[in-house]
This record gives sequence, structure tokens and C-alpha cells, in this order.
Amino acid sequence: MKAVGARLPRYDGVAHVTGRTTFVDDVRVQNMLWTKALRSPHHHAGIKSIDTRKAEEMRGVHAVVTHADVPRNVYGHLEALGIPGDEPLLAEDDVRYQGQPIAVVAAEDEETAQAATEAIAIEFEERAPLFDLRLAADPDAPQIHHWGNWYPHFEADFDHRQIRKGDIDKAFAEADTIVSGVYRPAAIEQLPIETQTGLAVPEPDGRLTIYSCTQALYFSMGVVAAHLQWPLNKLKFVGGTVGGGFGGKVDTATETLIALLALKSGRPVKWRWTREEEFLCSSTRAPWHMEITDAVTRDGWILGRKMLTLHDSGAYARFSPYGVTKHSFHHTGAYTIPNLHFDGYCVFTNRPPTSAMRGFGVTSVSFATELHVSRIADVLGLDPFQVRLKNANRIGDTSPNWISYTDPSTVPTILAIADAVGHELPGDYGTMTRDPREGDLLPEHLAAQQKLNGGH
Amino acid sequence: MAKHTGRGFSAIEYPTGMNQNGDPSQAWIKIKPDGRVDVFSGTSDIGNGSKTIQSQIVAEALGVPYEWITYDNSNTDSSPVCTGTFASRATFVAGNAVLKAARQARERLLDIAAKELEIDPADLDVVDGEVVAKGAPQKKISVPDVAAAATWTYGELITGTGAQLNPYAAIVEPDTGRVDLPPHAAISYAACAAEVEVDDETGEVRVERLWQCFDVGRAINPTLVEGQIEGGAMMGLGLAVLEECYPYYPSVEHRGAEFGSYLAPGIEGLPEVNTIIIENPSADGPYGAKGISEMANNPQPPAIAAAVYDAVGVWVTELPITPERLLRALQEKREPRREGRTVVFDEHLSVNTVAAEDSRFRYEIPV
Repeated sequence: MKAVGARLPRYDGVAHVTGRTTFVDDVRVQNMLWTKALRSPHHHAGIKSIDTRKAEEMRGVHAVVTHADVPRNVYGHLEALGIPGDEPLLAEDDVRYQGQPIAVVAAEDEETAQAATEAIAIEFEERAPLFDLRLAADPDAPQIHHWGNWYPHFEADFDHRQIRKGDIDKAFAEADTIVSGVYRPAAIEQLPIETQTGLAVPEPDGRLTIYSCTQALYFSMGVVAAHLQWPLNKLKFVGGTVGGGFGGKVDTATETLIALLALKSGRPVKWRWTREEEFLCSSTRAPWHMEITDAVTRDGWILGRKMLTLHDSGAYARFSPYGVTKHSFHHTGAYTIPNLHFDGYCVFTNRPPTSAMRGFGVTSVSFATELHVSRIADVLGLDPFQVRLKNANRIGDTSPNWISYTDPSTVPTILAIADAVGHELPGDYGTMTRDPREGDLLPEHLAAQQKLNGGH
Repeated sequence: MAKHTGRGFSAIEYPTGMNQNGDPSQAWIKIKPDGRVDVFSGTSDIGNGSKTIQSQIVAEALGVPYEWITYDNSNTDSSPVCTGTFASRATFVAGNAVLKAARQARERLLDIAAKELEIDPADLDVVDGEVVAKGAPQKKISVPDVAAAATWTYGELITGTGAQLNPYAAIVEPDTGRVDLPPHAAISYAACAAEVEVDDETGEVRVERLWQCFDVGRAINPTLVEGQIEGGAMMGLGLAVLEECYPYYPSVEHRGAEFGSYLAPGIEGLPEVNTIIIENPSADGPYGAKGISEMANNPQPPAIAAAVYDAVGVWVTELPITPERLLRALQEKREPRREGRTVVFDEHLSVNTVAAEDSRFRYEIPV
């Protein structure tokens, strides 16, 4: 029997639905302690002092960890890509979102751990928060991040991600119609059934075993090793079976802190986030603000696009700069638009840091581009299928950053949907293929681009 | 008061693998003395089915039954690097790693079989757990017998290792965004149609039917692909009409902190979902496969929003399209500003209206 192409049942499916799969919270070991975090009650505040003495003296409390206990408190998820870190594992001088962890406690049970977090005394100095990313560049906007109110990108002279292609002024000069719109998809929660959960076990040989629900074992192990300043051979990550992730378990949530608590207490330490923590403190999908202005012809060609994107990164960068870059690479969607002027900013606000979620960077622009194309068709009084088909990227067309499309299936997928819903298309549309453009489908504005690219 | 139906469409693309690449996955395989196969990979299965998919790839490449495969991704002591299960990369990138490992193990297997059969390894094939001579299928030896011979006769371990790393694509011109290499492992494509029913009194948008077509390159397991597409559709439906962490964004007030106060899609909202899979093989994917896992929640929100316009004549461009948002839009009936050939929608939301006069974010709309 051929294995590839076979409708085989899932390898782990029966175990999942009969409750026999072992997830991290199902792992119990002797002498295990439980974790709770002290989190910021403020959206933005300075920290003047942290006093953990009372909590440490409580019966049943075995370890309290603050920033002072972390060998390397600031480590960036994207340092390997040359993006420095900005977020402390535990807050030190200030807090920038409600729910930001300041200290963690390991105790005999969750109730004692919770009581101990409440016994930690912190002196705050409240500061003005920023929530509306559109106001981040206003002269009177609160300054909320030590890098400035948006991510500086650390490359050349650019504090944002930009795409420039073709001749945008010419495209707008030649347009019959210009259509502008604003698109704002919301922050949403990844909502896995399994909340963030981890268990750190100090082994007799001096190693630490970390049971983790991470989507990325080696990545998370690298993050823990960096904070601890340990070599990888002292760590063993156990996982690979995750109770839902959707991008919410790429950032490392529990592992480093339970490692520190386990080392300080000498006991195994488990931390399982409550549903409230999962909702209020974990990273979400980012809210995005996108403004698209397209230069179009009366027969539906999109000659050029000006676009402004503001990505709500929350209080720290995490994976957001990566998301904005990916977004910029795909900001024309499934269409070939030869003249482009794109500016994307990764803006900080005083909400929990946003980060990866299914479709990271592109879900937003798929929404904006597609609804905008629907509007263009409506403004021009044209068939939305035909507008899409003629602008659809084809073999030999190039992406916003000059990469030649080798196997685009925009045309075949649109034709399949037209057929499925019984949408009739005139002959030359109904028989369209994804092959390189020619004839009526290679108008002057696209021919000019192909010439510029050396042809295909 | 009336219920209105409408249809909307979308067409999308999405990259496979980490943006700009540079994201390795590795795997290794060993064959037990009875021919059963152990696969070690570092890919977390987050419900996407990567254990199944990678096991199918190994079974296919080795030529042995799927049931012979044991898949272990349980820990970093035995499993090699996988950058992770995100960026739609598990089937394509990690799948290529296990494919390479399986092909290497197959070569080792054929070397041993060649000695036993006294036939050149190039003239051998593995079919359904047996090594057979091409063109002379009566000359054969079972994979278990080859594995036993390796262990007890030749004192060898049949293994294979594989790694996949698409080279990092650098942005060589930060002013234009130009890159030096393709910044993706592949690109996948999909189109979608949505049919909605909108109640103009309650503001409720009900998604009645979805048609979705995905070009997946090659469906390694069609059932799991359909599961991704249909599960993704429900997540896209949540994005379109239900879910929001900040109901009064940008305000942080009134955040839902429990299932009862955060509306996620439930089975009662399941529309009729029609899934069409087409297969134009990717040049570089395992058996032609591309990744489609993330993009599965991308085409529905714009198709649904366009269907709402088709039904009731208002463009709602802030998601989700809740009853409150839709009723406000119906009440306000905002018209775009028209100036010459220029049509400006949503001006009340724009930085050009909201931000300070000298804000860096302001920009000019050509007229």
C-alpha cells in the first residue's frame, strides 16, 4: 500500500480522544512544588522597590525568584537573527503591561504560593500608558519603551520596514480611480485547551529535565540555556505532545522561571497557568491597523499600492518584528502589483506583548487586501472574480521583493471556487491558466516591470 | 426588520517555512533487528498531525508498511534539532528531513540486501516490506531478514540521518526590501467563497456556507489536510464575527478572562463547509507537498466581510463583525469621501484623522 496519499488515522488520535495521552500536567513526580506569579497590577509604572522577605519566611514557601536571581534577565527571542532583546524575564525597573511577571514563588501548594505572592511588597510609581497605536508618534505621546515608541529595526537608517518598487508616482498619475480604505482586524487569543504548563525536575546528576508544552523544543531549550547561561547538555526538554498551540506556545512562558525555582529550592517545580492568566497575560494575536490606497484603471488593473501598516506589538518586541517583515513581503496578497510604496511600523503599546499566532503577519494583510479588492470591484462596477483573475500572480510575475513566482495557483483556486458556486465567467476568464502572461494579460504596466526584471 | 443573504469571495497566498528561511530541521532513523523502524525527530505535534505525516513519509520512502513505524519526538536527548512547529513548516521542512533520513536508511538497507541476494543495490527496490530485484520479483528478501542479517551476520546498524535547511534570505536593500534569495520554502494558494445571512434587527451575522479551495501541492494524508482546512475555517469564522481580546480596542477595559466572556466559535456556529483540494506538486516539498496549516484561517474573514456588504450594503472593516459593530454601521451608513477620481473610505479610522498634525505616521492620499 502507498503510505503517501493514504487516509490513515492519526498516529495519536485514539489516545487523545480516550484521554490516554500524557500531557505535561499529567506528569506528577515526588516532592513537587507549585508556582504562582506576582504580576503587575498597572499598565505602566516604575518599580521603586521589591521586598520579598515576608514571602520567603512563610511556611511552605521554598523559593522566591526575582530579576536579581536570573543570570541573564534580558534575552531576545530573535537574537540569532540580530535582533537584540528588550524584555526582562522578570520586571526590574519598570512594568509595561498589566500582568507582567515581577516575581515567582514555589510552595507546597498553589494556595500557599498565591498567598506568598500577595505578601511581596512593591512600591510602584504609576506612569501614563499608551494604548492607541495611531497616537504613538504624536509629540505628546507617553514614552513607553526604552527604544522609542516603535521598534527601531537596528539596520541601516530604517526604523520601520519599507518596500519600494517600480514607479509609484507614475502609477498614481496614470490611475483612473484611486481607492483608499482602513482595515483593523482584532487581537484574539490562541485559546488552547491546555494552558501554559511546565515542570522542572532537578536530576541527581546536576541536569535539569523540563517537561514543556512548547511548540519548539530546541528553541525553548535555547531560551532557557541563554537565561541560565548553561550549555545545552545540562538541559533535557521533554515534550512534543501539545494540547493546542496555534502559535501561543512558541514564546517561552513557564520554562525558565520554573528552572530557576527548581534550582533555588532543589525540588521539582510545576507551574500551570490559570485560564485567567492564559487570557489576560499570555501573548495574543496582534491587532493590526492597515491603510491601503490603490491606483486602479477603470477596467480593474491595480497599477500601484501605497500602504501604511501599524502593528500593535504590545509592551515588548517578542516575535513582532519578524511578523511585520513577513507582512511586508506579502502585502500585495495573491496579486501582482508592480509599483509599491509600503511602510510598516512595529508599534509598542501598554498591553501584553503580542506575538505569533496562526498566519502570523499575513492573516492581517489577507483580510485587508481581499476586502480592498472587493471594494475596488464594487467601486468600478466590475465582477470581483474577474478583477482578481486578471491581477492574479502568475508564473514569472514577481513578489514585492523581486522574487519570481514559480508555481502560483491563484488562478486555478479562483476558477475552482467560481465553478463550485456556479459563478459564470466569460470564456477568456474561464479558461485562464497560471502560465506566464501574454497578450491582453500583459498590459504596459506589467510589461514594464518584467522588462525591468530582465524578463522571464 | 429582515434577514438578508449575501456572498463574498477571497483569494490568498501564504509562505511555507520561516520568513527568510534559515530554520533547520533534522531527523534520524534506526532499524530494529526485525525490520521495524524508529524515527527520531524534534517536531512537536501541536494537533497538526505531524507525527502521522512524518511517519507516512518514512514508510513511503523506505517501502515498508506504515504500521512498522515508531515515531519519537519526546525529548531533546534522543531527538535532533527542529526549529519548531510554526510557520507552516512541519510537513515541508521537517518532512524533508525525515525523507532524507529515510532515503539514507534505505540505501544502507539495500547494501545489506545486495550482499544477501548477490545483486547490485542499484537493481533492487523495496516494496511492501520486501527487497525485490527489479524485473525479477521472485528474487527477494524481506526487510526483517535484511535487518536480522545486518544485526547478526554483518554486525551493522542500519541508520539514516537527514537535515533540511533552506538558506537564510537576507534583505540586501533595506530601503526597497529587496532580498537575495527566495525568503520562503514554498508559497501555497487558496480561494474562498462565503455565504452569510445577516439579521438587520439583531445585527447577527450567520455564516451559512463556505467553499474553500486549497492547492496543497500534494496531500500526504487527505483526511488530515481536510481537518486543517475545516478547523482553520472555524478559526477564521471566529476572527470574522466573534473573537476579540479587547472589545473596545484600543481600550484595554472589559477584557474577557473566561470562556463565558470570550466568544470562540462553537459547534452550533458550524456552517456547511465545502472543501476542494487541488494538487500542483511543489518542486522541493516532500512528495510535492506544501504547507497550508496556518493559511487555513486566512481566507474566511475577508470573504465573510464582503458577503456582509453584499447582504446589507455596509463595509465593516474592523473585525470582528459583532452585532454591535454591524448595527452601528447600519445606523451610521458612512459614505466614502469622493474627491475627483479618488474614493476615500473609513476616513474616521485613519491616522490622517486621528494622529497629531505632525505625526510621523500621517501620509498623503493622491487625488
